[in-house]
Formats: sequence, structure tokens, C-alpha cells
Amino acid sequence: MTVIEDAPAAAPASSAPSSTAPTRYGLADVLGTGDHKVVGRLWIATALLQLLLVLAAAIYTSAFRVDTAGLADPPEWYAQIASFRVLAGAFMVLLPLTIGLATLVVPLQVGAATIAFARGAAAAFWAYLLGSVLVISAYAIDGGPFGDDTEGVRLFIISFGLVVLAEVVALICIATTVVTLRAPGLRLARTPLFSWSMLVASGVWLLTLPVLLAMAVLSYLDVRYGGAGGLFGGGATSVYRRLAWTIDQPSLYAFAIPILGYVATVVPVFARTRHFQHRYARNAIGTFGALAVGAWAIPGFGADSAPWLYELPWIFVSFAILLPLLGLLGMWAQTIRTGRIRIASPLLYGIAAATILLIGVAAGAVQSIERIETIVDGPGTPLFGTSWTSGVAGFVLVALGTALIGGLVLWAPKILGRSVAEGPARALPILLLVGAVTMSLPDLISGLFGQGLADVPGPVADNVDLIDVLNGISLLGLGLLSLAALGAIGLVLQALRSSELPGDDPWEGHTLEWATSSPPPAGNFASLPEITSEAPLYDARHQEASA
Amino acid sequence: MTTATLVPSLADAPPAEPRRPRVLFVASAFAAGASALVVVALLSVYLQIRGDLVSSGSALFPEGTVIPLTPGNMGLATLAMSVVTMAWVVHALRNDDRPHAYLALFLTLLFGVAFINTTVYLYQQLALGFDASGPAALLYIVTGAQLVMQIVAMLFVAVMGFQALGGELTGRDAEGMSAAALYWYVTFAVYVVVWYAIYITK
Repeated sequence: MTVIEDAPAAAPASSAPSSTAPTRYGLADVLGTGDHKVVGRLWIATALLQLLLVLAAAIYTSAFRVDTAGLADPPEWYAQIASFRVLAGAFMVLLPLTIGLATLVVPLQVGAATIAFARGAAAAFWAYLLGSVLVISAYAIDGGPFGDDTEGVRLFIISFGLVVLAEVVALICIATTVVTLRAPGLRLARTPLFSWSMLVASGVWLLTLPVLLAMAVLSYLDVRYGGAGGLFGGGATSVYRRLAWTIDQPSLYAFAIPILGYVATVVPVFARTRHFQHRYARNAIGTFGALAVGAWAIPGFGADSAPWLYELPWIFVSFAILLPLLGLLGMWAQTIRTGRIRIASPLLYGIAAATILLIGVAAGAVQSIERIETIVDGPGTPLFGTSWTSGVAGFVLVALGTALIGGLVLWAPKILGRSVAEGPARALPILLLVGAVTMSLPDLISGLFGQGLADVPGPVADNVDLIDVLNGISLLGLGLLSLAALGAIGLVLQALRSSELPGDDPWEGHTLEWATSSPPPAGNFASLPEITSEAPLYDARHQEASA
Repeated sequence: MTTATLVPSLADAPPAEPRRPRVLFVASAFAAGASALVVVALLSVYLQIRGDLVSSGSALFPEGTVIPLTPGNMGLATLAMSVVTMAWVVHALRNDDRPHAYLALFLTLLFGVAFINTTVYLYQQLALGFDASGPAALLYIVTGAQLVMQIVAMLFVAVMGFQALGGELTGRDAEGMSAAALYWYVTFAVYVVVWYAIYITK
């Protein structure tokens, strides 16, 4: 893929107007491209299309839960659709959106002419596209984790594995770009915090996704050779359990790492000052990432036979991960306090994402306390494994979605060559925050009252009326989130139709992506001087002002 | 379009000296780590199932099945020698000693083929059906995954070898072969773990 690729030449210096209309690409250009900006757009567009399918699945499963009587004997495709909501939502929408944004922005932020292994990054996208289409096809023929069609289930496992493999390759390209292709003088300590967070997230995912791939291999063997009972005691019914551990803490928190990078990027820009204690922020993001490595905690590695070996670290991680998050929140508050705050939509997305994430991580810590049990007739059970767990996942994943939409708005000039409309863009974070709380808080409460996981059907024995009401409120929250998601897609489409040019640096950014045109040319930068700080454009702007 | 229009003080500064990135080496490190994790994760499940069966007094494999030790040991010795010749390749290339580099490259690939041969021989000696039991399938999958890593490492070394033959990898610019060597070393390290966990502790 790779070793014979030449880096593209630097962008030619030009006296042309700094903002130009977006380059039009023919089909052949798109299919054969190695331009990280085109590949990033392809990831984003595909993920947004698949978001519509995931939203439909989410609304169906949530609507079904409003009357919990039906959960005792749900239609056989209920579990299928619920599993699609979780697995596709995480690995075919949110992670690909993150990868798309990073593929596009990270090389610009670090001052690189291209992404490392540009053709490898493009191949990763096409593999993801093929894999995700096959995953959807497998579901359509009654494959999927709970499917009756054995060949369909096998197709699902192989295609899901292909999606994961594609993401591994894409993450290697992103991480390698941050490590090796930074502009001269841009030491790792000066790396912009979004790029740094993507390096950390890539590292965590590279410690997680290979284990997920191994679990997919096991599942395939189980289904292919194991018959009804499965080679390893489970057959097709265990497929989902082997794949869905990635959505439980601590692996769940790997999804949260780019949120920290996004918020750490927007807060200093809109506070019009440097990030308070950039070095400690970098360390806090790294610590959060280290605590989010979670492949050790999966059931297949013997959590039952040696519970003390797993439970104590699990409880420790659940609480310890709050510390770097709280530290970062404190640093952002201090940054805003010392700066001159300017309210703009990217900042609102950052505030909303950080708030939603904090609630999710705090709820995750609570569910690790085994003594807190469900309030039901008879003996209760720990919260983990109830819809409280689904609520925690809901908060964290919606926080990521909020940050990603914020990223689309912030970097729209670089992604689309256009800015999105600021007025509607300001409304969405409020909708996302209210939607997240309205959707996931009822899940926490209904978990406390004994409702099982949202993605695994099962009867509700106690507090039925209360849980029905809570599930209705949760459905309402999901509706708000769906509106916000559709609104985000609408913002992008509206921006594409706009003829207004955004300028190179509409937000007065601090990092190098704002030192090139919107959209950036091939090669990204004509030339860059030695970088001497983590906020080179902020420094240059202030040097000019003082001169 | 560039800094010239936005921040004059940035544009006026002299361009920095380009530096030599180690793109392939770093990416190989990530890829090797990810590949190793797949094998280690599968091995962990194998050990977990083996531990459960042993503690419950059940048989791991059908009666009469014995995991032979000799082919595994031969595989270890072969790969250990290949690690030395791999280091020799990198050292020779860095010193522009092309005859020795080609010789070491040939020996490394030969050891790689020999390792594949020992593993296939081990499978024949084992005479165990793939779907005879869960642990049997896992044994093949774990050792097979490591074998796939070995084949990938050989292809990587072969591609870099062709580049070396073409004169592209010389002196300080032998990064490609260093990257292939790193992947090879990780493959060996993974085999050491597999060898101890499967063939020695049984």
C-alpha cells in the first residue's frame, strides 16, 4: 500500500484570493483519490447516511419499549434491530465520523502535506464502505447477531470484522501522521490537543479493536463449526455478547477521548486566550485514555472464575477516570475565566458535549458500586447490566455525537469550503443536551427500578407502570436527538448550497489548519516556518498587535 | 491561500529545515502491536477454556491426542536464528554491505519457510480434527494466526528486499528494512508466548 508513495508537493504559493470555491471532483478522482481531505469527506458522508438507518432502528426499539409488556415475548427481529442500533451506531456511524473528521483535520493541524499512507487511508475507507454495506445486507437476510440464517450470521461476522479492520488501518494512518509528519518545531508537547486526543484515542483503539477482531473470529468459528451449542458454548446467541463489550465501560470511554480534544480546542479559541496549562491538559487526556483501555475486562477472559482480579480494577477505573475529566473541566473553566469569552456555536457544542460526558462518566462510576442495588420486590441486583448501563452508554455516545457535530461546524470551512449558518447551528447543542438528558436519564432511573438492558429484550417484573412512563420520556428524548441529527445534516447541505465564502480563519483559530485556505489546496501548505508554541497563530496574531 | 494572507509574521519567517520522518517504522510498530494483540487475545481465550476444563477434570482434546514438543521447539530455534539474520540484514544495509545483506536476507526468508514447514509438520503429527472440540479449534486458530503474522512478516521482508536489490535501501536510508525487522521481531516474540503457553505448559 504504502512504501513507494511519495508525499505530495507543497501547495504552490499563490496570490489568488484566499478562499476559493470547493474543488469539484469527478467520479474517477474520488475513486482513485489519495487526498486526505476527500477521503475524510467520504468517511463523514457515508457515516451520516448510515446515521439515518441507525436513528430509524433506535426509534423503533425505543418505541417498542414504551409498553414493556411486549418485551416478555418480543418479535424475533426486535433483538436484531436493537443490536444494529448499538453495533452500527458505534462502529458504522460514530467511530467512522471520528475517523473522517480526524483524517481531514489532523494533517492540517500538525502542518502535514498529507496523511501518512494516503492510499492506505483511502483503502481503509473503501473497505469500511464494503464492510458496512455487507453488514446491512446480512441484517436484511436475517443474519446479524441474533439471526436465524446461519449463513447470514456468518456474513455479518465477516463483514463486521472487515469494518473493524478498516478502522484499525485508518487509525494507524492517523496515529502515524501525528507521530511522524508534524511540521518542523511542532514537538509532540506542542501538538494541538485535538490531534493529541486522536493519537491517544488511536492508541486505545489499537489496543481494543484487535481484541474485538479476535472475538469476531471466535464467533465465526462458533457459528461455522459449533452447531446449535457452539464450539465454545454459545452458538449464534453469544455473538452479540462477544462484540458488544466495547460499549461497556471502560472500553466505552475510548469513544470519549476525541470529545476532550475537541473541547480543549474550542475553549481557548473562543476564550481568546491560550489554553490554561496546556501541558497538564495533554497529560489529563493521556491519563483518561490510559484508563479507557478496557479489553482486559471482557467476559471471555474469565471475569467469572476470578472476579477479584477484574472487579477491583474495574471499580478503580470507573472512579479514577473522573479525575482527569474533572481536571480538564477545571482547566477549561480557568481558561474561560482568564480570557475574553466570545459565544459562538462551536463553543456551545463543546460545553454541551462536556456536560453530557460528565453526567455519563459520573453515572458510570455509580454503577460500579455493587452495593447500590435495584429497587424491586425481593432481592435486588447491581446496577451494571440494567438499563442504567444503557443510560451510561447513551450519555457517552451522545456526547461524542455532539462533539462531532461541533467539529463539523467548527471545521466546516476546511471540510466544505463553506461555513454553516451560525443561528441554526447555535440551536442544535441545546437540543442535543436536552435530548441526551431526556433520553438517558430515564434509562438510569428505570435501571434503578429493575429494567434490563435496552438492547437485550427481557420481561420487566416490577414497577411496570413507572418504567413505561420513563421509557416514553426516553423515546421523547430520542426524538429530540433525531431532530438534532437531521438538523446537523441539514446544516451541512445548506452550507454546500451557500455561495458565501468563509475566509481562511473565520474563528481566529490558534492552530495550523487556520493558516491555509478554505478549503485547503493539494499539499495543504505552501511553506511553514519553525513552529515554536502550541498556538502558533495566536502568537503570531499577538506579536502583530503588539508591534 | 496560505499564511501570507493571514499572518504576515508567520509568512515572513524562513522555512524550517525538513526532517526525515520514520513513517513506515512507526506504522509498522502500530501494525505489529495490533497483530500481536489479535493472537494474544485468542491465546487468552484458549488458556481460559483450558483452565476451566482442567479444573473441572474434563479432557482438553479427544483421547490419544498428544501435542508434540519437538516441532514446536524446532520452530522456536528456527525463528531465533532468523532474528539474528534479520538483525544482520539491517546492519549490513546500514553499512552499505550489500553482499552480506543479500546473504542474510536469503537466510532470513529460508528460516521463515523452515518455520512454516515445522508448523505444518506439527499439525500432521497432531492428527487432530479442527472441529474435534473447542480447544482443538482454538489451538489451530492461535497457532494459525501466529503463522499468518509470520507470512505477513516474510512478505514485508521480501518487498523490502526487492527495494534493497533496487538500491533504494542503503546507508542511513534503510528505514524500510528496519520496519520489516521490527515486525519480524514482534512475530518472534508472539511465537515465544504461544510456544510456552501451548507447547510447554500444554
